[in-house]
Amino acid sequence: MPNDNRVNADPLDLVISRLVRAPRASLWRAWSDPALLRQWWCPKPWTTEVRAFDQRPGGAFHTFMRGPDGGTSDNPGCFLEVVAQQRIVFTSLLGAGWRPATPWLAFSAVVTMADEGDGTRYIATVMHPDKATRDRHEEMGFFDGWNTCITQLEAFARQSL
Amino acid sequence: MAKQSAQLSEVFYALADPTRRAIVSALGRGPEAVSVLAAPFAMALPSFLKHLSVLERSGVIRSHKLGRVRTCELVPKTLTPAQRWLAEQRATWESRSERMARFVETLHQEDLSRAKRQPRQR
Repeated sequence: MPNDNRVNADPLDLVISRLVRAPRASLWRAWSDPALLRQWWCPKPWTTEVRAFDQRPGGAFHTFMRGPDGGTSDNPGCFLEVVAQQRIVFTSLLGAGWRPATPWLAFSAVVTMADEGDGTRYIATVMHPDKATRDRHEEMGFFDGWNTCITQLEAFARQSL
Repeated sequence: MAKQSAQLSEVFYALADPTRRAIVSALGRGPEAVSVLAAPFAMALPSFLKHLSVLERSGVIRSHKLGRVRTCELVPKTLTPAQRWLAEQRATWESRSERMARFVETLHQEDLSRAKRQPRQR
């Protein structure tokens, strides 16, 4: 598999693995029906609007999130690979029809699902391009010091409770 | 890298608790004695000290004792901007995976109970 790069994982890659106590078909539903996806995509009280969801290679995958304080997060992208009940690859670096984009957050994500015991092994690998991108975020004032970090972590922790 | 990411997950674990985040926020204003730090929290001192030790083990804070007074302070260098960036991305995806898993598990349970109900209706 081209993107199964857990062996030569880059320090900028994130690999999240979880055993879900549900069959693969249920997992697939949550990932292939935008009405379901929007229910878990972002942390409450933020809400997700799925602006485009054309689940095939080159099809648009565009989410738009709104926070309680008026904050928004616009995330256009496209699907690169879709294998029903097995694998979804998408990126923010290309838009619908593989049109090149310059996203605020550059990444490609590989999501896989496989039977394991009574449940499903879910693995998300999120790859980030390089240090330059990260440094640009820094220049953009992405890190407003310690407190920003804490506030964000707080929001992340709240959502998962 | 393994060591670095182990430390990162310890930091993240340390900050996953609201009490500990409140402690970190308080220390953002400067070093503080344990007794002063503990005062606003409605919990027994031993529980509070446990939170402090988790923070200290992760390297987010450090403390030193002078006479009978133990003072805590932030160690701002624990998370470099690069690590912070990655920690944020990780937090986003970890919590998203967690929400997805819970959502799917609930979905599955609903499917099961619906399947159980149906034969009776026939």
